[in-house]
Amino acid sequence: MAAPDTLAGRLDRAFSNNRVWIRLAAAIVLFNGLFPAVWILLTSLKTDAELSSLPVTYLPADPTLQNYFTAFSEQPLLRYLFNSFVVASASTALAIFVSSLAAYAIARLRVPFRAAVLATLVAVSTFPMITLMVPLFQTMRAFGILNTYLALILPYTVLSLPVCTLVLVSFFAGIPRDLENAAMIDGCTRLGALRKVIVPLAAPGVFTAGLLAFVNAWDEFLLALSLTSSQQMRTVSVGITLYQGEYVFPWPLISAALIVALVPITILIVIFQERVVSGLTAGGVKG
Amino acid sequence: MTTRDIPRDETDAAVPAGLRPLPVDDAIERRFKRRTLGDMDERTLGLILLIPVAVLLGLVVVYPVGKLLWTSLHTVRLSEPWLGRPFVGLLNYRDALADPRFRDATINTVLYTLITVPGALIVGLGLALLANLPFRTRWPVRLALLLPWALPLVFAGLIFRWFFDSTYGVVNDVIARLGFDPPLWLTEPSLAFAAICIAIIWKTSSFMALVLLAGLQTIPRSLYEAAKVDGAGPFQVFRRVTLPLLKPAIVVALIFRTITAIQNFDIPYAMTRGGPGRTTETLAMYIHATTLDFLDFGYGSALAVLMFLVSMAATAWYLKHIYGTQA
Amino acid sequence: MKPTTAALLAGAGASALAFAATPAAAQDLRVFIGGQQRPDVVRPLLDRYQEANPGVSIELEVGGATSELQQQYLTTVLTSQDDALDVFLIDVVRPAQYAAAGWAEPLDSYLGDERDAVLDRYLPVYAEADVVNGEIVALPAFADAMFLYYRADLLEEHGFEPPETWEELMTAASAIQEAEGDDNLQGLSYQGAAIEGANCTFLVPYWGAGGTLTDAEGNVDIDEAAAEQAFGFLLDTIESGVTKANIAEVGTDDTRREFQAGNVIFAINWAYAWNRFQTDEDSAVAGDVGVVPLPAFEGGEPATCIGGWQWAVSAFSSNKEAAVDLVRFLSGPEGSKHLAINASNLPVIPGLYEDPEVLEVNPWFEFALPVVLSARSRPQSPRYPEVSDTIRTEVNAVLAGIKEPEAAITDMEARLQRVLR
Repeated sequence: MAAPDTLAGRLDRAFSNNRVWIRLAAAIVLFNGLFPAVWILLTSLKTDAELSSLPVTYLPADPTLQNYFTAFSEQPLLRYLFNSFVVASASTALAIFVSSLAAYAIARLRVPFRAAVLATLVAVSTFPMITLMVPLFQTMRAFGILNTYLALILPYTVLSLPVCTLVLVSFFAGIPRDLENAAMIDGCTRLGALRKVIVPLAAPGVFTAGLLAFVNAWDEFLLALSLTSSQQMRTVSVGITLYQGEYVFPWPLISAALIVALVPITILIVIFQERVVSGLTAGGVKG
Repeated sequence: MTTRDIPRDETDAAVPAGLRPLPVDDAIERRFKRRTLGDMDERTLGLILLIPVAVLLGLVVVYPVGKLLWTSLHTVRLSEPWLGRPFVGLLNYRDALADPRFRDATINTVLYTLITVPGALIVGLGLALLANLPFRTRWPVRLALLLPWALPLVFAGLIFRWFFDSTYGVVNDVIARLGFDPPLWLTEPSLAFAAICIAIIWKTSSFMALVLLAGLQTIPRSLYEAAKVDGAGPFQVFRRVTLPLLKPAIVVALIFRTITAIQNFDIPYAMTRGGPGRTTETLAMYIHATTLDFLDFGYGSALAVLMFLVSMAATAWYLKHIYGTQA
Repeated sequence: MKPTTAALLAGAGASALAFAATPAAAQDLRVFIGGQQRPDVVRPLLDRYQEANPGVSIELEVGGATSELQQQYLTTVLTSQDDALDVFLIDVVRPAQYAAAGWAEPLDSYLGDERDAVLDRYLPVYAEADVVNGEIVALPAFADAMFLYYRADLLEEHGFEPPETWEELMTAASAIQEAEGDDNLQGLSYQGAAIEGANCTFLVPYWGAGGTLTDAEGNVDIDEAAAEQAFGFLLDTIESGVTKANIAEVGTDDTRREFQAGNVIFAINWAYAWNRFQTDEDSAVAGDVGVVPLPAFEGGEPATCIGGWQWAVSAFSSNKEAAVDLVRFLSGPEGSKHLAINASNLPVIPGLYEDPEVLEVNPWFEFALPVVLSARSRPQSPRYPEVSDTIRTEVNAVLAGIKEPEAAITDMEARLQRVLR
């Protein structure tokens, strides 16, 4: 296989003689995406007083790592990160597993009430969480799992199911049936074909769904505040808010905590980037 | 492989697929039926595969949603316990339709949705196309694409409030350095609205771009080659190949973007608290205040159900207009 | 997977039960406070109580770090009638709501004959703030009030005394601003954003102008003249340039931060600001700050808002006797003094403002006593959150210049009449 089998490949040739365009494109995307993150990073190196100095300063006048030390000493930040990681990974794995099955059934099998199933899934994400909070708390209490990882894993999985399923449906449906059928002729069962053909071919979709589910869980706040209320079980999204006071919002300290909380997601993106690119080649289907 | 011998199925793959039963799929299905499992078995298998979803939904959301509907038909106002908790039928809904604050919040929510959903789609599509260019090192661009979305909503709101701060904000600093009069972003209602829209588009175009980028990656090169053979220019390729093939991903992204736009809460709440006055208040903010602050669960639930109806109507509209016209 | 999970859960549950069962039957208490309420300071206080009361074991649960996050959690837990919490802290504006919702256990029957004596130990304002329909709903933990902070160095340099009236304040602020010639120097900063503090921003001058929200029978009766005077004063601060034009965006900590950076001459804020001004390493105004009661209008009386937090006993506690006893301790002289010394919280007991140990740590409390003695409670109603929402929205709209004061007053009265029927 010579060139990436995609639009990228197509544009590659169009632009190959003009790196300026590429650089400009990169600059736009980088600025748009990174400016606030860089701002947070710079803020985490400032002192509180510097934020109220005029004129506005961009680079820290006297960079300090103190905020990071304080962030780790004031709250068990590592514990929060660990909790978030457990909850987000488990709910992502569960959501991907469950939604792959459902998406396969919807995209490929002639199940009845397909539209109703999709509508129900979409409906799940249309209620404002605040109005479901109390009954959800009661549900988790009835299961006896308040203050356990499960209390968050279950609802996070459910919250990610709609978007994961719909993304996967749209990807699965785009995969030619020939490949699947060929696999089945070679002796695969339907589920075997799902695992060995469909999911790998839909890799960009699966990874996207996984990333969506992971970050959804990583950032969720409202449920985490009430369903895991003991300090040992707190997740990082709630943990970050614990640095503030009734009135005081210590931006430098909170920025440091935010940066720390963004690190795992950054690593995840960098690692999965490779996987997504390899998925990209597979996505070209004909190889 | 050349264009000529693309097997039929590969072009089938190009048909926007997914959210509706595809006639093409069914045709193939029949073609291969004798080689696959029987029709009954397929139905059964399909239903079995849906069981985990059903179980999870049953365990986690059926009771809360049922309770929400029940509550919306009752007076449940904890601050006035002497009212009891009588069944009131659709009274809460009728109150809502006569409530000017509900009306204004709904109008605001619709405006935000109409501006930020297309805004995020356009920006997100642009970012996805840019990010799909052949960079030598890809991850910085990908990271830049995804970070806005990974930043928790409330902090995105707070940081944009800071950016738009009249005195200490970056935006006004730049405006002043360019020699213009810095405006009071969050004091003037239309500017506050604009600032909130900018923050939302920034935050959510990232989600759009992520889903669309994945869609771009599955478009087979052969189709571009085919278009090229037919003598199509870049814009035509985009219109005739990229856009149609991206449609399933666009629809999925639009559905969820619209639903989250209707639930728009954290960013305006962090940036203005609905101010100045109530000019930037959204429906979700009103629901938040009604349930959490006023403890009027009956009315708050009715508002939530109305919001659900709006979301479902929007979803149905997408499916109808985007797929309906295609078939 | 299922059986394993279930077994794990059962195991965890069993061990939790085993732990709960061993130390002293039925005397386990769970106390909930917010992250901002210094768990590091409250914990030793609870330990002290445990030592004095063997057999009682207290667990401290720490929630989100703002009034709002606490309300979110408590609403969830208490609406679910959960018995997990026995004692919790609530904002001073909440007792009536918690009483109406049936979340806070009335304390009268537990206090018995001592009821009046207990109530009498506190600042008089708490007889208003914590008593709902004649029943004690909560006991105060620590006080708070709005103060006027000023730049002592600037006032001295330009020959001004700390103002006793708003008129004096405006004159001094304008004169100093002009003399300093610094465009970034604000004369006065207060809270104009649509937050709880904006209610006090309006109520302070409104009360000062002789206004009340309800008449003797408790019916809503806005004093239009007083309201106009209050709004007139606030708008005047903006028009004269004493207050910055975007005051409608300014929240509590914005005021604190700008003053601390040296950009403000007078600031209205809660008590927490004092320590930040004076002891923060990066404070630009340390040693140059003065604090006085909020000014009055010429010929009028000064007024301020009472703030602070209250200890309440959960109506769903399975151990109310013990919980009430703990609350009496926490809100008593020992508890209040502990919080005053270790967290610089304003005491709820008048005598502590003259306590040498308290004053040694917080010398400025000496000036604070007259302020908290004159502080007034925001309207006590189960629907206070709606009252608050109404007032702060109108205030914010007027300060942003999108609504005329007359219209705001009319709308405010109409809305309040429906809420406070």
